[in-house]
Amino acid sequence: MTPFSRRAVVAVAVACLAAGCGGSGSADDGPAATETPGNRSPAAAGSPVSGPRPLARSVPVGLEIPSIAVDTPVVRLGLAQDRTVEVPPITADDPAGWYRYSPTPGRPGPSVILGHVTVGAHGDGVFRHLARLRRDDGITVRLENGTAAEFAVTSVRTVAKAAFPTEDVYGDTARPELRLITCGGPLEDGEYRDNVIVFAALRATAP
Amino acid sequence: MRRNVLSAAALACTAVLATAVPAFADGPSPVPDTTAAPTDSGEQAAETGPSPVPSDRGAAEATPAPAEDTDGVTVVPRGAPDTGDAPVAGQSDGDGLLIGGGAAAVLAAGGVAVFVVRRRASGA
Repeated sequence: MTPFSRRAVVAVAVACLAAGCGGSGSADDGPAATETPGNRSPAAAGSPVSGPRPLARSVPVGLEIPSIAVDTPVVRLGLAQDRTVEVPPITADDPAGWYRYSPTPGRPGPSVILGHVTVGAHGDGVFRHLARLRRDDGITVRLENGTAAEFAVTSVRTVAKAAFPTEDVYGDTARPELRLITCGGPLEDGEYRDNVIVFAALRATAP
Repeated sequence: MRRNVLSAAALACTAVLATAVPAFADGPSPVPDTTAAPTDSGEQAAETGPSPVPSDRGAAEATPAPAEDTDGVTVVPRGAPDTGDAPVAGQSDGDGLLIGGGAAAVLAAGGVAVFVVRRRASGA
């Protein structure tokens, strides 16, 4: 074999090796492609959830909590100018309020309803005894379209306002859930130190 | 010399073809198999699940949801809500004062009664 032909054979061999490396690189892309969102596990996508079927979207108009004798209309709340959540009006027989940037009760996600613990000179607020709720206590929300969502309490937490658990309260959930929020704890300089937060999950729907 | 060049060129063409053919064949065979496996298992898990939610989900995805039907908090408020206007001083304090005063009166009456009984018992 002449030097030229030897060089040619070496060049071909190098070309073959290079082509082989390229092929193995594309094969490595295969498993990576399986990690696309479409191939995520159902649990990660949050789809198959046991429990009652979610309700159609309809705004809440009434709230009943028999164990603490609450039966109140529900108003709509938005954001205050400082980007904190609006609260219901300070009145006698103050209503509860639904945060309108949260899902309507019975839809997947955390529906947020707020109420006062006390309303100044008017005395007790609609959520005066919210902290007395216990696990499995029932909460019924009446919706504008005539349907109702019944929730069961899963936990009641009293947390310092300075450490408000934003993600736990407003974070996405796969199933329909409810958050009831009021103030609690000791008064410090005329303001309550804590928030009482009731976490509940959809138990039944009607009709 | 010329024959060597020709044979080297032929060898090079063969090598290129030999590497190109597996590259073409690579597409349909191994990669889809590995990607198909998780999908199949996912579908299987969904089918054996207790409720027909996955099929409903597919239908929901087919129809575009209204803009306001978000299923999640679209705007997360800042900070903690202020859901308590402190009771006016005097209402609950008044209750406490009433209870405290009552208790003090009962104690005082009891003390007086004990004093009187002991004085009578001693015959003073």
